Amino acid sequence: MATKIKDYYEILGVKRGASDDEIKKAYRQLARKFHPDLNPGDKSAEEQFKQVQQAYDVLSNAEDRKLYDEHGENWRAVKAGAGAPPPGWEGATAQGSPRGTGGFDFNDFDFGSFRTSDEGGFDIFEELFGGAGRGRGPRSDRGRDVEAQLELSLEEAHQGGRRTLQMQTGKTIDVNIPPGVRDGSTVRLAAQGGAGSNGSEAGDLYLHIRLRQHPIFQVNGDDLEVELPIAPWEAVLGAKVEAPTIDGRVEVTVPAGAKSGQRLRLRGQGLNKRKGGRGDEYVRLKIVVPTEVSAEERRLFEELKRVSQFQPRS
Amino acid sequence: MWPSDVDLDEPVSCESVAQTVGARRSLVLRLAQQGLIETVEGGADEPLVPRRVVIRLRRMQRLRRDLGVNFAGAAVILDLVARIEQLNRELGERQKR
Repeated sequence: MATKIKDYYEILGVKRGASDDEIKKAYRQLARKFHPDLNPGDKSAEEQFKQVQQAYDVLSNAEDRKLYDEHGENWRAVKAGAGAPPPGWEGATAQGSPRGTGGFDFNDFDFGSFRTSDEGGFDIFEELFGGAGRGRGPRSDRGRDVEAQLELSLEEAHQGGRRTLQMQTGKTIDVNIPPGVRDGSTVRLAAQGGAGSNGSEAGDLYLHIRLRQHPIFQVNGDDLEVELPIAPWEAVLGAKVEAPTIDGRVEVTVPAGAKSGQRLRLRGQGLNKRKGGRGDEYVRLKIVVPTEVSAEERRLFEELKRVSQFQPRS
Repeated sequence: MWPSDVDLDEPVSCESVAQTVGARRSLVLRLAQQGLIETVEGGADEPLVPRRVVIRLRRMQRLRRDLGVNFAGAAVILDLVARIEQLNRELGERQKR
């Protein structure tokens, strides 16, 4: 079903007769709020920014704005010289937006095209982007770089593996995730971004790795930490108990007289490092007590209370 | 299977980065000298930069284009956003405990 395009003036929160300055001011205010570079990973902000950007692109261009004012949401078809808009066109967007599937979110911004810099202030824009903005200096038809987020489980980051990503174009890319990537790592896939023009090379695809929170492990650099519940008698007497690691369960020796919060180090049981080796795992002991006790257990605790010299608050 | 390049630590020249982002070498060099982009030790006459600088430059460009901030301001914004992200992650970890 076609989605009705929201009114561009409404998106920017300005009146239809708003001046260029008012439109720019409204755009800047909303851009500050929703800009994806200020709200990394926030899909809602990204979607809102895309709407704001689209509205501003049209309303900041005198010719496009005039067409929009005259023809409303049909303006683009009129501009394209198509006469009456084709049925169902309302749902189309101005530009194809590569969108990943399977937990793969594209941050699709027009990295490769720049507006003419007409804003005041300290301006080295022209120098940085040379010919791209004003037709001077170096010019490149290289394709756009595309940034995306790729969410991985802790196990995937630890062990590495292959992920197949599907582009909106239908093209699929097999990505090799090496063992030892971390939250915040970036994987670059050369020439997998936007296509270049005039025979130029394609842009690159940058995948920013985000790790899903693990239900039991906390990550601290290369190390892992896990909470391990133990019984009071295991803490007092010491015990051999099983503890989870990222590779499975291992036997851990709880020393006699262990305290709640005490950490036991399992050397080399942490995460794989990118350049070889592994971090450590820390098992944090937590003494827990039974919520229900049998008559026999109660009798034994009563006996312990009677004979114990332990003064926990002294 | 496409070869992937992780963490983008590879040192590259300012010229290479400039070509990638469609910039002049002189400006990438200036941003490096002003500490607005990361540099790595190199034996050459001018500093090298890690490949990931491309991402930062793109972001700076978008902030410049969309918000009208200059590059010094964009650098501060990106550093603060990174700190907020880090704090949010730490907060999430603490709340889990």
